[in-house]
Amino acid sequence: MNEIKERSGTVDAELLTADASLLAVGSEGHETPTHRKNALYLRYLLLPCTFLTVALLGGLRIGSLDGSFIFIKPALVCLIFASLLLVLFARSGMIRINGWFSESFTPLKNAANAAVVLSLFAAITQVFNSLIPEQGLTFWIVAFCFFWTLWNNLFADFDTRKLFRSLGGLFGLAFVAKYLVLANLAAPAGRSWYEALTENPGQEAITRLLDLPRFSSATGYIQFFAVTLFLLGLYLLPPTTRPENNSYQEKVERS
Amino acid sequence: MYSKDAGIIAVKERYIQILGILLTVIYGLFVVFLYVAEPRSLEEVTTKAVETVQNAATKGQVITGTYEADQAKFGEGLGAFRKDNFPAARDSFEKADPEKRDAKTQFYMAYSFYRQGWGRVSNDDLMFKRALESLDRVTMLDKDFRSDDPDLKLRTPAELRNELEEGLRVTADDFNPLKVFRERK
Repeated sequence: MNEIKERSGTVDAELLTADASLLAVGSEGHETPTHRKNALYLRYLLLPCTFLTVALLGGLRIGSLDGSFIFIKPALVCLIFASLLLVLFARSGMIRINGWFSESFTPLKNAANAAVVLSLFAAITQVFNSLIPEQGLTFWIVAFCFFWTLWNNLFADFDTRKLFRSLGGLFGLAFVAKYLVLANLAAPAGRSWYEALTENPGQEAITRLLDLPRFSSATGYIQFFAVTLFLLGLYLLPPTTRPENNSYQEKVERS
Repeated sequence: MYSKDAGIIAVKERYIQILGILLTVIYGLFVVFLYVAEPRSLEEVTTKAVETVQNAATKGQVITGTYEADQAKFGEGLGAFRKDNFPAARDSFEKADPEKRDAKTQFYMAYSFYRQGWGRVSNDDLMFKRALESLDRVTMLDKDFRSDDPDLKLRTPAELRNELEEGLRVTADDFNPLKVFRERK
């Protein structure tokens, strides 16, 4: 009897906790004008700025000799990967197409949403441009790894959270491979043949064999910032721009 | 109260969307500009921006049909041409007609290549070939072009082309020692 009481008490407590959490979500889900205004600022001003900053920095390298800017235009393969990733976003529900473009929206809203999505596409392209080595054998190896992963993911069951984690892992690994491993294998620029052969012939040989570009270490810092900014932008990106009438339900589903 | 708030939000939403589009377009153009102009330092950004604006203005003139060669620069080029300073002349002609759409300037350009490449014993083939390229542009721009400059002995693209092609061709006449007495046209 006591056991039954204890169990019923536990169930009641669980229900109360659940109700309390749902009520809390409900109060968050209720849209106040301030909340809506902030969401608009985020969606139409902060997000495009974030993504376009990523687009600006993604192809920027710093020359190792004179510290000059080198702007590297994205290869065609980056555009293809960006398109694949956008499809993945749509499949996983990270972006709901009908939540961003709809006949029920005003043309202005559709245009503003298109601007955000375009800036997202530019950012994805430049993130790939940042993470894939610029030339040589390593370019093809890393590009093939990206292609393999994206192609596999295209047919896998994904939700937003899993995709976000997967992307974080994928980009993190690519960053480590390019800006820690390959960057440390590349011999410093500005050395003569004699110096290169006497000081570190192995490093020089690998650099020439793999056709590794020689950039300043500042490039790694800039690209780290760009990739982090991109992931932050993705985290802030709402799946839909429709008014949150069903936000309560959505949050319950998510919880 | 709620409907008033909703009204304010609707108006605000429109403004924020317009602002968002403008911001995206301007910032996006800036990013594209950086990747096209490829400045190598922050100081170069300004220089490249001025160049890009000037190029855009010239292209705009071409599109609207209001393009004209810069007469002041053309005059400078003509002065240098008369003094046989052909590289300086071409530099001024290029500045006068950056889009290469003025037949008269392009004819003088071709003529400057011809006069610089002409020699009593042998001609500079490279100069003559570049002269022919400029002449092609003249013919394309104005089929009936005829220069009114009395200083030029070859007044039409056809005459100049013939002279250039003769100069490029190797014939038995090239070994005639009397050739050194011929005159530059």
